[in-house]
Amino acid sequence: MKRTWRCFVCNDIHYGTQPPEVCPTCKVRRAYVEISSAEAGKACLPSPAPFTKDDFRRAIEDFAAKNEFQVNPDRERVATLIEGIFANEANHGLKYCPCRLATKDFAEDLKIVCPCNFLVHETYRGREKGACWCGLFVRR
Amino acid sequence: MARLMMFHALECPHCRRMLPLVDRLEKEEGLSLEKYEVWHDEKNADLMRSYRDVLAPACGGQLRTPTFFCPDSGEVMCGEVDYERLKAWARKNSG
Repeated sequence: MKRTWRCFVCNDIHYGTQPPEVCPTCKVRRAYVEISSAEAGKACLPSPAPFTKDDFRRAIEDFAAKNEFQVNPDRERVATLIEGIFANEANHGLKYCPCRLATKDFAEDLKIVCPCNFLVHETYRGREKGACWCGLFVRR
Repeated sequence: MARLMMFHALECPHCRRMLPLVDRLEKEEGLSLEKYEVWHDEKNADLMRSYRDVLAPACGGQLRTPTFFCPDSGEVMCGEVDYERLKAWARKNSG
């Protein structure tokens, strides 16, 4: 089961089964102490500005730049998908994929938060022209 | 005539491509599909969820859109397909 941890030097928050051996921000070793998820939420300052659709597009482009896939060059399709992703966040709490439906089982539904782990999906794995189910990401 | 259902989502590009094909199918074949938008209508979403045990195994283990479903035969077709495949599925299941 995943738990939350806080770096006692720089206040980085980690959510996982184990704390990092070395803090990725301040580089101090064995710096993490377990805290409650409520405390973790309070330790993260609210973002100074809303995370916009342009911010999200930039984030997924940065994410894709380090990987074997890219954001779909079809900008109209991407714009439609981002509309749906943001509508789902506004209406249902998280950036759920617009081409799948949440089941109301939280652990299961985390699998369809964008970007999802589409590398294992039959629409991507082993396919020369692989794409995630909705087509937001395509193999380079 | 057997019921034919289509679960779709407003901002799903696959669904946007399939809806005109469904319109064409209805006109050319004289069929009628029940269409349920699932991300902006919670009642429709719950209806799709109620068929999860049948739909998900045919759709990569998840509830995906578009999904075509005939509750009488239990036949499920998931994803974007060409017109001929859609027509064949509808003819086979319309009874």
